[in-house]
Amino acid sequence: MRTGAAAGHQGYFHEALPYASGDELLSVVVPFLLDGVAAGEPAVVAFGADNAALVRAALPADSGVEFLSGGDTYARPAGAIRAYRDLLGRRVAAGATQIRIVGELPRPALGRTWDWWARYEAAINHAYDDFPLWSLCAYDTRHTPAAVLADVGRTHPRFIRPGDRHEISPAYTEPRTFLTENRPLLPDPLQEQPPHAELADPTPGQARQAVREAAAGLTAAARDDLVVAVSETVTNAHRYGHPPARLSVWSDADRVVVAVSDAGEGPKDPFAGLLPNQDSAPGGRGLWITYQACDHVASARDASGWTIRMITGELD
Amino acid sequence: MAETGTTARRDASLGHACLTYDDPADFDTAARDFLAAGRAAGQRVCYIGTGRPVGWEFTPEVIDVAAQYPTGSVIDPEAGLAVYAAATEQARAEGYTGLCVAADVTELVRTPAQLEAFARYEFLVDRYMRDHPFTAMCAFDRGELGADTTVELACQHPDSVAPFRLYADRPDRSGVALAGELDADTLTWFQHALRRCDLVPAGGELTVDGSGLTFIDHQSLLSLDRYARERDATAVLRTSFSSAGLMARLMKLTGVRVELVA
Repeated sequence: MRTGAAAGHQGYFHEALPYASGDELLSVVVPFLLDGVAAGEPAVVAFGADNAALVRAALPADSGVEFLSGGDTYARPAGAIRAYRDLLGRRVAAGATQIRIVGELPRPALGRTWDWWARYEAAINHAYDDFPLWSLCAYDTRHTPAAVLADVGRTHPRFIRPGDRHEISPAYTEPRTFLTENRPLLPDPLQEQPPHAELADPTPGQARQAVREAAAGLTAAARDDLVVAVSETVTNAHRYGHPPARLSVWSDADRVVVAVSDAGEGPKDPFAGLLPNQDSAPGGRGLWITYQACDHVASARDASGWTIRMITGELD
Repeated sequence: MAETGTTARRDASLGHACLTYDDPADFDTAARDFLAAGRAAGQRVCYIGTGRPVGWEFTPEVIDVAAQYPTGSVIDPEAGLAVYAAATEQARAEGYTGLCVAADVTELVRTPAQLEAFARYEFLVDRYMRDHPFTAMCAFDRGELGADTTVELACQHPDSVAPFRLYADRPDRSGVALAGELDADTLTWFQHALRRCDLVPAGGELTVDGSGLTFIDHQSLLSLDRYARERDATAVLRTSFSSAGLMARLMKLTGVRVELVA
């Protein structure tokens, strides 16, 4: 039996929690967690260090609430989905009838990489719907850009407000629709310079070599992961895209940006990259690995075809 | 243009090189260099091809390939190995340090049945070389056989220009070495080579020395995983290519364990 606002709901009960102060956050989160514990439901916090400390201080000692490291949990969207699905599967197997989670993306996720976190927020409506999950996604309205808040409204079916009020989100958009919308790529500052390398119709091996040469400043592990990502996308471009494929690489001392284009329309699966092998979609597993091998991945269509851009290294 | 593993890299070659050539003159030159090095090392040297080398400063034993292997014959891998094992012993008995052979074996791999048998034979010979004083350079005419067939054979030699190499790193069947780059373009060759090397687990494990591996894609890892699981074993892949570990973890492979080495 599920308890609280999600009682009687099948699958994922996904609510956004906009807040403008610590007190406002606690007024929602603390009863949400303690009600869960009281009902015997796993109650989990995935916040960054500051808000985790705030919640911890507001809870009674030995409250039974579990804490995950929010920063690690939300390193990359496809990885977060994989980790949460594993966690939810384990809890359900252990007998949980509902799992309660409060989470918050780290502040940088609301900046240049928000696009793939917006896709995450849309995709999880589907990806977590196999589980009796009730989650609150906290957004600090003092720091969250308006455009991000607009996406929050479009990707969350509901809002939760202080006083146990639950509101339908009027802007909520079906995940498949949201994920299929074309979002032009926000140019990376490195792309203001001429590319370090440009290759027409490269083989995967040629693409790997071009990336290795440009990525000499990265750690070996980061470079290898980026090489995997690029090799998989070039392989997919040849196998499933339309010629000509094109590779462009920009780099500086500690960041590398790689764009792979072809004249096709890109993957048809709206969850491509975020979930493995959705409906056995062609190239799905390689793209899913790509999304977990780079610090940022985005893709878009334009008049000349489809481009996927992979970035490794953080902007200062 | 002829492509060979570098005979200059003799230590790395493990004594088993592959030459894929377009011009027969390239086989003649490479065979001369390979056998000259064997001769300098005190080995009995043997030239197997069509015709006889001319103008060399030494005279190898010459065997006409058609006389040794009738046209269209399919090699018996075990019997083929036994012939070379006996010849190696004979060379030792005659006071040589071992046996060194340069062979143009294009005629032996023209049909699918010939290719399959010969590729299995290559693995047996390669394994034998790890603890016996036998070295060989196998040459294939790329113009006659096509690029696919030559790569299919070259990838089973430690010393070749194939994009990847799968070869014996020990005389027994518990492990193998994997070098170079594996991706979608090499997947079929890799699967064939894996099948042919016919590993047998030791203590539930198959050892894959990937110290020369610079790239492996997820499909090739899946193939290795399936291969190990079909043998109720775990393939222990030792490599410095760290992303192999990431991919194995993401795909939750149960048949592959990646051990990162420096």
